[in-house]
Amino acid sequence: MRELYTMRFTALRLIRAWVVLLLLFVVPFVLVTLLSIIMGDAEEGGLLLRNEINVMMVLAFQLFGGSVAMNYIHQDFFTERRYRIQSLPMNTTLYGFTTMLIGTLYSIILGALLAGYTVLVWNVDWGNIAWSIFIIALMATLSSIVCLIFTFSVKKFNIAERLSEVYGVGAILIAGLIFPMPDHAVINWVNEYINPIMLAYEAIDAYRNANVGDAWMNAGLLGGLIVITFVIMLLLGRRRMP
Amino acid sequence: MTIAAMQGIVKRYGNELALDYVDLSIHEGEIIGLLGPNGAGKTTLIHTLLGMIPFDKGSIQLFGRTEKVFSHENKQKMGLVTQELTVFEDLTAKENLEFFAGVYGLKGEERKKRVEEALAFVGLSSNAGKTPAKFSGGMKRRLNIACALTHHPKFLIMDEPTVGIDPQSRNHILETVEKLREQGTTILYTTHYMEEVQTIASRVVIVDQGQIITEGTVNELIANIQHEEKINIDVSTPGDVPVERLKGLEGVKNVHVDGSTVQIISTVGSGNLDRVLSLVKETSGVVGIQAEKPDLEDVFLTLTGKQLRDGEEE
Ligand SMILES: Nc1ncnc2c1ncn2[C@@H]1O[C@H](COP(=O)(O)OP(=O)(O)O)[C@@H](O)[C@H]1O
Ligand SMILES: [Mg+2]
Repeated sequence: MRELYTMRFTALRLIRAWVVLLLLFVVPFVLVTLLSIIMGDAEEGGLLLRNEINVMMVLAFQLFGGSVAMNYIHQDFFTERRYRIQSLPMNTTLYGFTTMLIGTLYSIILGALLAGYTVLVWNVDWGNIAWSIFIIALMATLSSIVCLIFTFSVKKFNIAERLSEVYGVGAILIAGLIFPMPDHAVINWVNEYINPIMLAYEAIDAYRNANVGDAWMNAGLLGGLIVITFVIMLLLGRRRMP
Repeated sequence: MTIAAMQGIVKRYGNELALDYVDLSIHEGEIIGLLGPNGAGKTTLIHTLLGMIPFDKGSIQLFGRTEKVFSHENKQKMGLVTQELTVFEDLTAKENLEFFAGVYGLKGEERKKRVEEALAFVGLSSNAGKTPAKFSGGMKRRLNIACALTHHPKFLIMDEPTVGIDPQSRNHILETVEKLREQGTTILYTTHYMEEVQTIASRVVIVDQGQIITEGTVNELIANIQHEEKINIDVSTPGDVPVERLKGLEGVKNVHVDGSTVQIISTVGSGNLDRVLSLVKETSGVVGIQAEKPDLEDVFLTLTGKQLRDGEEE
């Protein structure tokens, strides 16, 4: 199929975009390395701090994975290139979806590589690594969908980009990763049911502690967010995509 | 055979009329030179013809079809060279062409052959492995053209393919168009350079403010205004030229002041020149005078009272 044929080129474009590699791999790689050295074998309440911090760090960068899908959809459908794409004898909506898929996959692969690095070099305990990669995949998917919602809902792309940063930084902030959040009912509720990085962390942590029921519950909440945002994305996309 | 046709097309942007009841038919083997100043509606016309933007009124036919006009089958027979550069910056020239060749359904050896051929056609073979970032403006333009060629379109639409490039690259592109014509490709070529249209077009369509103001071969269009003459009078005080009074003179069709030159188009006839000259002499001082052979520029001037290049920063 012609739409599938385009995927290798989207992948090539992506691999050559060094800014993406820098943001989604090099920066977290350096941070994970530095933090692991600083943490050493420090413990808190009998738990290795390194385990918690490294997992959080890898998950945090998945919040920004959607920037790839958003940039490529913008370039191909909301700049002058849209006319070239529209002139081609292929299903452009399907082409859009393959672009989004490649962008999301790339984010997942880089996340999995980072996770592997923390396991092999820093002996970080991810519990079940396959489960963890599944959770990373959910986060990457959600991020792509959310970023596309921003792309479709505001006219100016740089505002959409800022919004996607607010999404990522906001989630990290509310999770209390930058400084402790006040113990407020609303914040706690958001972290328990909506904040993707907390849901992902809890899903991985529960599995690590053999609490499979909790793990699935958190993964289910992430899945629910994906379904809801996906529907919103489709509705907005139908209106805005050429 | 009619390749493409539009009837009574109206396209509005808000209150602005971008296409004002446009009728146009393009026949097999023609090279239509769509000539008009910036903002005339050339790009809008193309995007409407290809079904990329909605329009308010009228109908479109492509390859004899009146229904499912913008089907993949029809798109397969067409190629669009966009006005802006729309190649992929992170892919090499060759990869760009492979992308488009593949999307047009070319496979395996055939695809390889067509990609090589397109590269050679626009003179980029020795730069096939480079990304457009390393290209000059002219080379980027040529790649932008080649992307629409691998599938050998029957109908090629080129939107200002020579904008902003050096004369050498421009000639290269015009020769490319010539070669495509020899191969039987039907071409819709838009530009605001009348020299290009004069060189390559088999039929010229002039647009201004969303309307087709005239069409025909270059010779026909010039013959139509041949009953008029154009004189340029150099004056010493251009500020004093009584434009409105001149326009009011019998036989005078248009007056245009450009620097210290007054350009006057009048019907050929006894006494016109005499009346014009004495009025200019009286008010602004005649320094020199020339009569010119009319060209497409004059066709435009006669019909619109404006120059093609008006408002252009060149
Ligand atoms: N997307 C748009 N929104 C609003 N106005 C537009 C848009 N595109 C073009 N126009 C207007 O339509 C007119 C024709 O533009 P265009 O077709 O680009 O002219 P040309 O290609 O001949 O330079 C111009 O006045 C331009 O400002
Ligand atoms: Mg244009």
